[in-house]
Amino acid sequence: MTASFRTLRDFVLLLLWGTFVLWMDLSKQLSTYLHPSLQPYTVGAGVLLIILAIFSLRSLLKGTGAPHECCHHDHSCSEHDHPHSHHEHHDNCAHDDHESHHGHDHSASEKHEHDDHHGEHDHEKEHHHHHGEATGGFSLLFKTLVLLLPLAGVVLGQSNHYTMSTIANRGVVQDLSKLPSAKGAPLTAVPSASPESATSSNSPSDEGTSASGAGAMPIQVIDMLYAVQMPTYREEFDGKQVELVGQFVPLTTGNPKGDRFQAIRLFITCCAADAKPVGVTIQYDKPLKVSEMGWVKVTGTPTFPMEGGRRTAVLVANKVEECAAPDEPFVY
Amino acid sequence: MLASIGWFHFSLPDFQYAFLSILLEGMPFLLGGAILSGILEEFLPQSLMTRLLPRNPRMAVIASGFLGLIFPVCECGIVPVVRRLMRKGLPVSCGVTYMLSAPIVNPLVILSTLAAFRGQAAIEMTCLRFLLGLSVAILAGWVVTYFSPASILRNELIQEQGEDHEHGDPSRSMLDRLQNAAEVAIRDFLDVSVYFVIGAGAAACFTTAVNQEIILPLASSPVLSIASLMGLASVLSVCSTTDAFIAATLTTFPMAAKLAFLVFGPMLDFKLLFLYGAAFSKRFIISLAIGLFFVIGILCWRLGTLNLGW
Repeated sequence: MTASFRTLRDFVLLLLWGTFVLWMDLSKQLSTYLHPSLQPYTVGAGVLLIILAIFSLRSLLKGTGAPHECCHHDHSCSEHDHPHSHHEHHDNCAHDDHESHHGHDHSASEKHEHDDHHGEHDHEKEHHHHHGEATGGFSLLFKTLVLLLPLAGVVLGQSNHYTMSTIANRGVVQDLSKLPSAKGAPLTAVPSASPESATSSNSPSDEGTSASGAGAMPIQVIDMLYAVQMPTYREEFDGKQVELVGQFVPLTTGNPKGDRFQAIRLFITCCAADAKPVGVTIQYDKPLKVSEMGWVKVTGTPTFPMEGGRRTAVLVANKVEECAAPDEPFVY
Repeated sequence: MLASIGWFHFSLPDFQYAFLSILLEGMPFLLGGAILSGILEEFLPQSLMTRLLPRNPRMAVIASGFLGLIFPVCECGIVPVVRRLMRKGLPVSCGVTYMLSAPIVNPLVILSTLAAFRGQAAIEMTCLRFLLGLSVAILAGWVVTYFSPASILRNELIQEQGEDHEHGDPSRSMLDRLQNAAEVAIRDFLDVSVYFVIGAGAAACFTTAVNQEIILPLASSPVLSIASLMGLASVLSVCSTTDAFIAATLTTFPMAAKLAFLVFGPMLDFKLLFLYGAAFSKRFIISLAIGLFFVIGILCWRLGTLNLGW
């Protein structure tokens, strides 16, 4: 009875998880969470979860829920001849008897053990239905709730982007040497001509920026940061109008006149949890009403002044407008 | 949005976002480990393992340190595999060594470390990471041989250790055997996932809510830089196949501290602290954490004072 209930729970959990993962992929949401190279694994895992769900349905129909654990646990009380587990066997027997008020009359250290693992007595539950239903049931319920937590977002509303809070905690990187995989790569990249440059995976045309640009060259935030490091690349920008897309982040330091903000992109190593904000400073003297982390398209002239003893990238903007988020929200 | 005290600023949507992305990233590897565990349970004869490992317990521990080269499993997948292998009679000491070394002594991790440190003593870094990870894991296994499994494993695992009933009965149909393997995989996956979800929650909270600038001033002290990067490795809980890319960007920190990050992280990050709970007693996990912190910290600090030209 309880065993098949557990198998039913397994089936439901696997099915929910599998469906959730595949739905995330089909609705194109997975790309806002993971680096492209990791997405296939997650999709594959989604398929495997569904296959495992089918297996658990099969055992549910056959009524053979978890046959393995049976043989392991049946002797937990009778078998005292195991070389080094005398004491523990005993513990567990005592434990079974007192399950509903577990830990009560055990020594301090045993109590500690039991309390730590409370919520883990489900194995006993299957085989000692007659005692401890309450604790076993509680344990199973607790675990099930934990496993449902990741899906809570579907019901309660899910966030698929960061707010300023995390950006502030991580700090915006303006120095490319502080960015994973940026090393070596730009040295071989020939500016604006090479498809090997780090921007290749996010070519601006994907983001629809090229269409509207009246003579403005569509670039990435990261291009200006490369230019900070490489004089030859900087020359490419001489006297050119460029346009770039980024997320609006207010600039708190180095902004005496209050006419500056940052346009940032999130740089991902493997998933959104390791996202690093990279940004360039934008100088714009007209009043601007954009919400924090809102997407903006900035048109202007790139400059590379020395500020505070180091070269920086400042885009002197003549137009800043709000725009839709690009299909590819991250840079890699 | 909510609490704000300088270095700590928690935002629920950000937490939710990072939490789910860690789960989606790590889950395939955890599932892979669980499926491998189901296959091992059904198809690996118990005698094979005892025959392959050297008789001498210390030699067996050393051999386990290299298992990761044959069965490369990263740190999310290793817990269900080790749990299952120990149920099948792998000595606990060997299990601990395999578990700690596999995420480092691993062909993929070696390659990614080489790539990430291109231009900053890549070969030295990769070799030191490999050697240090291997020797610390072997050392931990040796220490474990002095203790009874009862003080190390979780209660249910102790009863089951070595109680394999040769499920691999070849006379049954292939579908039945797969069914068995799948049932074991499901049980292992869901058991371990509980800890994974809790660990991912802890890691997501730290990576989004804690201001990462607080560790920057520590970079100039040899001792504090090592301790703080080990702490950061735990907090970030990045997979061992990609953590080198993160470490390589911590340019203000000394190489010894980056090495500590690369060795400590895969052995004991925040999600692992919870994942290990699926197989080991809490007391053991805490001792392991403290032991690893000091042993890796001291070794890296000594290496840092040797002036290896990195």
